[in-house]
Amino acid sequence: MTRTLLASIATMTGLVAPHAAHAAPCAFTDPVVVAQVGDTQLNLMKRLGRALRDDASKKLVLVFRTSGSCTNIDQIYNQTPIAAATVMQYIPSLTEDPAWTPASPTLTCELPAAKVPDIANSALFNSACPSGQVPPPTNVRLAEGPAQAYVMAVPQASTQTAITYQEAYFVFGFGQAGMVAPWINEAELFIRTVTKSTLLAWSANISVPPDKWHGTRFDGSPMVANALKTAIDPEAALGILGAEVYDNDRANLNALAFRARGQYAAYYPDSTSTTTDKQNVRDGHYTVWSPTIWMDTIANAQPTNANARYVIDLITGAPTTPAPAFDTTTIIAAVGLVPDCAMRVSRTFEGGPLSRYTPAQSCSCKYESLVADPDTTCTQCTGTGQGTCAAGVCRAGFCEVQ
Amino acid sequence: MKSAFSILTLASALLIAGLAAGCGDDHDTTPKDGPTIDGRVATDAGIDGATVDGPDASCFDNPQTNDEIINACTTAQKIYKDTTPPLTLPDGGLPPLLP
Repeated sequence: MTRTLLASIATMTGLVAPHAAHAAPCAFTDPVVVAQVGDTQLNLMKRLGRALRDDASKKLVLVFRTSGSCTNIDQIYNQTPIAAATVMQYIPSLTEDPAWTPASPTLTCELPAAKVPDIANSALFNSACPSGQVPPPTNVRLAEGPAQAYVMAVPQASTQTAITYQEAYFVFGFGQAGMVAPWINEAELFIRTVTKSTLLAWSANISVPPDKWHGTRFDGSPMVANALKTAIDPEAALGILGAEVYDNDRANLNALAFRARGQYAAYYPDSTSTTTDKQNVRDGHYTVWSPTIWMDTIANAQPTNANARYVIDLITGAPTTPAPAFDTTTIIAAVGLVPDCAMRVSRTFEGGPLSRYTPAQSCSCKYESLVADPDTTCTQCTGTGQGTCAAGVCRAGFCEVQ
Repeated sequence: MKSAFSILTLASALLIAGLAAGCGDDHDTTPKDGPTIDGRVATDAGIDGATVDGPDASCFDNPQTNDEIINACTTAQKIYKDTTPPLTLPDGGLPPLLP
């Protein structure tokens, strides 16, 4: 059975999971970059993988798998290979499935030989993981990429709209004994294992150590989402998810607004419960977010795999040669991440205090146009430099502050 | 009889008032006070309603510190929720987690 036929069957049956059965060895004519990323970055890999496939200026094949952020850090810090015959995901080639979209399942192949990932990703500050609490090895380079938000989510049938820092501390730190109604049934608290960025990010924001959480631990985000959707008591159900997972399941789930310690009101990641602009992540009203960290191996300060560095540069917004034929800001916005150039706050460790931040080259207006921010005050422009802008810089068709 | 009816009416009124006040304790929908952060007092215009859109009741126009940034003025949707979990310490602090 060919890969194309497998993809066609999957599309017809509506399957979204990768095919794992009868995976052929990974063998491609174009250069391959092997990545090991957090499951919150799956949609980014799919969209970026397709863009790279379709970009004639620099053909690359992204072959990837998902794993916990802490596991990924360990893997590249220790240069531990992914075992031979490990099942990996990839985007079908133009020959295999020219009509493939990110809503379709990936295809799978088996690594023909053990290999250290060319790219490893952590969806939070490395220092939040046990092995990341020391400086990275001299042969590993870290680059900060787009910001990733995390939410507490409830089933659509729940009437809950917000949770405070104090409530979350008692709910997940004490479970039933915390007596915070309606979240007093530990069987209805859906959490993640201790290597996952979703749990670690929330841990840092509600002061509950990862191993102290009460609830049912799941290995993957889809399992948490499914548990919420099938909860026996929707009012008592509460789970943690990456914001992009929630964004793709808004028909069935609601995110709770979160009131951080010392905050007067609770806020959603977005400006309202129904928008997807990540306004409150960008300006600091929503505190549960992390930068994604992208790691590759270096020797004498140079990347050992230039193609891997090319992919990382695309994700982090660094200049690339050749310039891609696609817009990475559009891809990043589409998967619920916030490019660094659209952030207006920063922090230096997980859950740490926020500081005002001005990116060297802002893309706030471009980003707001992509996510339909209802509060945008941006104007369009033409030309280069100041172009037709009254002030600032005309970049990508929008007047940016700098 | 008239006296007994008056007493009953008064008692009912007090009971209803008491219940209403009790509900307010658990679901206060307004900022607690004009907060002071780092020695500076935030604006406090007062707000009613559990969900409020528009200018903040208590906010900072030019936020610099973390506490000011998270309480900066915004038009984003806000939800005021001023509950006190039962295990909260008398001083408002949180007890340590169980070993």
